[in-house]
This record gives sequence, C-alpha cells and structure tokens, in this order.
Amino acid sequence: MIDLAGVTYAYPDSERNVLAGLDLSISEGSVYGIVGASGAGKTTLAKTIAGFIPHAEGGDLEGRVTVAGLDVPTATLLDVVTRVGLVSQNPFNQITGARFTVEEEIAFGLENLGTSRAEMLERVDAVVDQFGLEELRSRSPYALSGGQQQLVAIASIMVMRPSILVMDEPTSQLDPGGTRLVFDVIERVAQQGTTVVMFEHKLELLRDHADTLGVLAEGRIVLSGSPRDVLADERLAEWGVGSTRFTAAARAAASAGLVDRKAELPVSLAEATGYFAKGANR
Amino acid sequence: MSTLYLDRQSPLHRLNPVTKLVGVLAVVLVVFAVPVWWASAAILVGVVVPIAAFSGVGRRLLVICSVLVGPLLVVLVVAQGFFYPGRETILFEWGPFRFSLEGLQIAIAVGARTAVLVAATMLLLLTTHPGALMTALTERGMPPKISYVISSTLQIIPAFRGRAESILLAQRSRGLRTKGNIFRRAAVLLPLVTPLVLGVFVDVEERSTAMEARAFGSTRSRVSYAVIPDSRAQRVARWVLVIVAFAIVGLAFAGVLS
Amino acid sequence: MSLTTEQPNKTRNLVFIILGAVIIVATYLYLIIGQPADIAAGLGPSALIALAGYLIGAVLIGVGTIHRLPTNTLVLIPVAIAVNIVVGQLTAALGLPFYFDSIGTILVAVVAGPAAGAVTGAFSNVIWGLTLSPLALPFAITAIVIGVVAGYAARIGVFRTYWAPPIAGAVTGVIAALVSAPISAFIFGGATGGGTGAIVTAFQAMGNSLLGATTLQGLLSDPLDKLITFTVVMLILLALPTRFKQRFPFVRQYNVLPGMKNKKLD
Repeated sequence: MIDLAGVTYAYPDSERNVLAGLDLSISEGSVYGIVGASGAGKTTLAKTIAGFIPHAEGGDLEGRVTVAGLDVPTATLLDVVTRVGLVSQNPFNQITGARFTVEEEIAFGLENLGTSRAEMLERVDAVVDQFGLEELRSRSPYALSGGQQQLVAIASIMVMRPSILVMDEPTSQLDPGGTRLVFDVIERVAQQGTTVVMFEHKLELLRDHADTLGVLAEGRIVLSGSPRDVLADERLAEWGVGSTRFTAAARAAASAGLVDRKAELPVSLAEATGYFAKGANR
Repeated sequence: MSTLYLDRQSPLHRLNPVTKLVGVLAVVLVVFAVPVWWASAAILVGVVVPIAAFSGVGRRLLVICSVLVGPLLVVLVVAQGFFYPGRETILFEWGPFRFSLEGLQIAIAVGARTAVLVAATMLLLLTTHPGALMTALTERGMPPKISYVISSTLQIIPAFRGRAESILLAQRSRGLRTKGNIFRRAAVLLPLVTPLVLGVFVDVEERSTAMEARAFGSTRSRVSYAVIPDSRAQRVARWVLVIVAFAIVGLAFAGVLS
Repeated sequence: MSLTTEQPNKTRNLVFIILGAVIIVATYLYLIIGQPADIAAGLGPSALIALAGYLIGAVLIGVGTIHRLPTNTLVLIPVAIAVNIVVGQLTAALGLPFYFDSIGTILVAVVAGPAAGAVTGAFSNVIWGLTLSPLALPFAITAIVIGVVAGYAARIGVFRTYWAPPIAGAVTGVIAALVSAPISAFIFGGATGGGTGAIVTAFQAMGNSLLGATTLQGLLSDPLDKLITFTVVMLILLALPTRFKQRFPFVRQYNVLPGMKNKKLD
C-alpha cells in the first residue's frame, strides 16, 4: 500500500538530506503513527507520501516511493492527491476560503475534479453525516472553532475518497476538546478501511489509536513495532521523542530503586497500576 | 465576512447575480454616455432608489451613498462653480472668485453621474451574496482563480482585522501611544505591520498545500455545487438591457442626445 | 516547479495582456495627447471612453495575468490584499497624511515578481470596491502599474541595496500619479475624496486645468506615499528570517534580496 525504500531527499538549494535512506512499509487499512523530534523531518515525510515532494517542492528525491499503486516521482500531483489526502497542522490555513459555507468548502475538491453534481451531493451528505457536521453545514467555515475547522478540513479531503489519509500533526494547534473531536473522526475514517498515517506527538493518543508506531530520527525510521513496544523503548529519549507520563514515572521510580528494574516499563494507566503494585509488594 | 450584503427576502435578492450585474453595467454605461444631469438624476430617482426601497435596502443605500458621494459633491460644486473655464453667467462673487452657472451645471452633472455609479453598484452588492456572484460568474467562464482570490480575501479580512486589533491592544498595554504628533502615530504602524506580514510568509506553504490537496490544479471543467437559479425571462432581459444600453450609447455618440 | 500549474491557454493569456495594455495606452494617449474638446470637466464621450477603456484594459490584464501564477504564488494574494486593506484603513484611522494601502502589493511584487504584483494590485482595488467604495474600481489600472513597476524594480536588483528602494518608491509614485490623474479628472471631475478633492480645487484656483490639477495633486501625495511603502517593505524583508524569503523562486532566480547566493533554478 505504502512502500518507501532507500528514500533520500534534500530541499532545493540545500545540502542537508532531510530523509536519508528511509525505508517504510505500511499495509492497507492500518493506522500507522509516526513520532519524531521537531526537525526530524516529519512534515517532509508526510509530503513525500502525499506527493508534494517532489511535485510541489522540487528538490532531489532518490529511492522508491510507491503509494496507492502509484510510482509517486513519475505520477502527477493531481493523480496522487486524488488517492492520498493530506491534512496539516493549522486549521485556519486549510480552510481555502474559496467558498462561503461549510458544505461548499467541503465540496470544493469535487468541484475542481469535475465530479457530477448528483454524486457531489451524495458524497457531501455522506461525509457531513459521518463527521457530525449537520448543524454546521450552512455556516461560514471561518465562524467555527479550531477543532471544528480541522474536522471540515479532514471532511474536505475525505469527500474525495482517498484510500490513504496522511495527517501531519493535525491536533498540534487544538485544545483538548478539538483534539478529541479529531481523534473520534480518525477512528471512524479508519473503521471504513482508509489507511491512516498519523504524524503526532501526543504519545498516549497514538498508543490508543495506532496499530503500528514508527520513530523518525536521523532521516530514517529507526524503530517500528506495536505502540506498546515502541513507547517502552529506552532509546526514545535519545531520538528526542520523550515518553508517556507513565513510562517516565516508572523509569524515575526504577532508578530511585523503588521498583524492580527488570519489569517491562508501563505505557498506560492500567499497566502503571500493575507495575507500581508489583514494586510496592517487593 | 467583510461585505455589504444584507440578507433580505425580495425579488431583487432572488434575481440571478449576472442579471443584476448586467443591469448595473447598462445603467453606468448610459449615464456616462448621456452628458446631461437630468438623465443621471432620473435614473437615480426613478430607477435605483425605488428598487432599493422595494428590496428593503433603501435606508442602507442612502447612508452609504451620502457618505461616499456627499463630500465629492461639495468639492465638485466649489471647484467647478468657481473655476470652470467656460464660465459666462456669473451667479455671485466671493473675493477674487466668481461662481458661474455653467460650472454649477457641470458639477451637478458629474456629481449625479458619480452618484448613479455608486448607488447602482451598491444596490448590486447590498442584495447579492458574493458567493452567489462568484458562482454565477464562474459558471459563465470567469477563471476559478479569480473566484478563489475574491472569495478568500473577503473572508480573511475580518480575521486580519482581529489580528491587527489584538496587536494594537498589546502595543497600547506596553505603553505605545496611538495619539499625538504624526511621527508618534506613524510609529504605531511598523510594529503592527511586521507581525501581520510575517503571518503571510509563514502561512503561504500550508495554504498552497491545502489548495493543491483539493485538486485546485485540475484542468478539468468545474462543476458547481451551489445552484444559482436563472430563467428564460432573465436571459431575455439581459439581452434587452445590453441592446438598449448600446443603442443609447450609439445615439449619444452620434450627437442625437446632446 | 509544480506540475499542476499547466498553462493550457498560454497564447490566449498573452493576447489578453497585450490587448489590455494596448487599450490602456490608447485610452491614455487619447485623453492626454488627443486633448478631447470636453476636457474641461470630463463630460461627454471622453468620460465614457476613460471609464470603459481603463476598466476593460484592467480586466483583460488581470485575467491574462492571473492564469500565469502557480498555486503557491496565488495563495499569497488574498493575505497580501488583506494586509493592504487592514493597514490602509488603520492608516486612515490614525489620521496619517499618506495612504499606505499598497504594502501587500509591493511585498508580493518583490518576492514573486511583476505578474503577481499586478494581480495583487488589481484585486486589491476590486476588493476595496466591493467592500468599501466602488469609486476605487476605475483606479485598478494604477494598482496594476504599481505592482508591475515594483516587480521589475526588484528584478533589476533595487532591493539588494539599502538606498535604492526609497528612490524606486518615489519613481513608482510619480508613475502612479501620472496614470491616475486622467482617471480622477475625466471620470470623477477631479473629486475623488474630501481631502484630495480640496487639494485639486486649490490647484485649480492657482490657474491649472482640471487634468493639470489632478496631476499635481497626485505628484504631491503619491511619491511620498510609495517612498515610505517601499522603505517599510525593505525593512520588513530585512527583518524576515532567510528561510521564508528563500522559498520564492523569483527571489532565488533574480537574486532579489541582499545576502543571498544567486542560484539558478533547474
């Protein structure tokens, strides 16, 4: 579904390889979370999967990038964007403003693709219903909260029915309420079979929503596996990723000699309860 | 949204925006072609004002037009009244200056013409949602890029105004004064403009990505989601307006109407 | 650059731009050199020719030019126009004696070139006309000319130095004044606003013709206004981090700003 091998990339007029020999394989229908320090190249990788690299950014891209059956470097950006949707951080910038109501903003991509009006109406209705935007549909997208705007942005992409949804830190500018709205919707999108690639730094949310977690550092995926294993990995701090508060507390407790060092580090509240219970029994 | 549109129920509101636009252009064409003040005045009083009143936007139209055209009329009367080169009939003298009837006539003619230009355009803007105007024009071949620039700008302006106000507020709370001499007031601008402009540069990449992600680069012909009603009667009316306007312009240029 | 910025109607767009420019120049020459008999107060056919010529010319240039802009340039324009209008209104609210309503236009022209500057200028006036006063619409061509001149000034390296932008601004202001003078004279009889109208009247009182008076009024305010605007744009660009400026191909290709290596695009 997504297959990147030996991918190396530098922006135009730059010597630095932001991606350096990156391998990444994501299977169809899964939810893949990617964590990494800021500056690790998360946005670059997101744009590579979604075709904006090299098509909109230019620069030197080497290696194999096959996404949704397309050889991205030789395909056109238009081909890629109809199969791979990209959602980014700032909801205000993703509202195009090309139309004046939420439903028209959502329909904008289909208008550009020349989709027949009957199908447009059906698809907009479906996505409005799925995302719970019924009450907002004739409002101005600029009159919405950040979280609601981000839902509109995701809906505007999903209405084009891509088989892959790439999200580049979609909740970094949202309050907790907005973050919850977005993750609820991601859950629903994943349930209907869309492959989701999530770049996110909220580790506990990734733990609950991702099937697989990858760590991006030094321009490569340096570690991937189940969220549980990845989040408990000792090397996360070296890669600048941080850890969940449960892992951090357990690690501090272990180094203070309060609990057994050999026990597997917890990544959730339930695991942490067990972990500390065991320590207390010692 | 920073537009003049007033949401009312009226036949004029329901007309296809293109019909209204053609109407405005026809009226403007006629008043600029026919060089007599009473033609402009007749269209203003006999056509524009009654339609505005009937459409529930009369009061607003009156206020906007007085604000925009009032000062111009004063300037015109003073400037043309005293300084029109072709003066013959002197109405009164004020110091070394003589106020002429011919100048006054010119002032009223130009003033009435400008008033029609402003009032007719305002009538269109007060009764037409900009989204409907853009959709209707795009359906008739206006490039989608133009519709994007206009629609997007109209919606971004209020957000920017909000940003400017909060920056201004922050500056005031740090003791920067917005009153005083010219230099002090001008000094307010630079720290205000820089963050606004910085925003332009920071946002551009994400905005561009958002547009491409919605297939804006597509060369396929657009299909419109919104439907703007039109009718055979309106199509006929548009052609009639165009023909009548050009006929009047032709007569005016042939010298028949002067 | 982006593959999605195909130009299917390149020839048609060029024809639009050339036709628009020809109409504008013809209108200008008719009004200035032809000296129509009804010049005194802009009544009769000269008013209609001025209005139609300037509007149709501006529309043709606007339509022809906007097609040439790739998406990553196009998205600059709404925000730049919003800056024009918000800063312009604030300047007026502060009671400052200049317009300061083209800062976004100049900025876009400098980082993205003359075509982008022209479109920003044109639609700035359209938006001003749609939201504040339709009287701005006939002056769209002035804003286009300002954007184009600023773009070419940047291209020949004006913004690489610290002393040239104010001069280029003043020159742009002179050009703007010459372009807009016949518009205010023939379409509005010299009356385009309370303050400027009073100045036009004063010049008429000194014995100037209407066109002479509007020209002098423009020369009094436009060069200073554009000098300030160009200088402020230069200061803002100096303050901006290099990575924001490097993003623009026009900046890289023509080595527009100081302290950047000249790198050709492939």
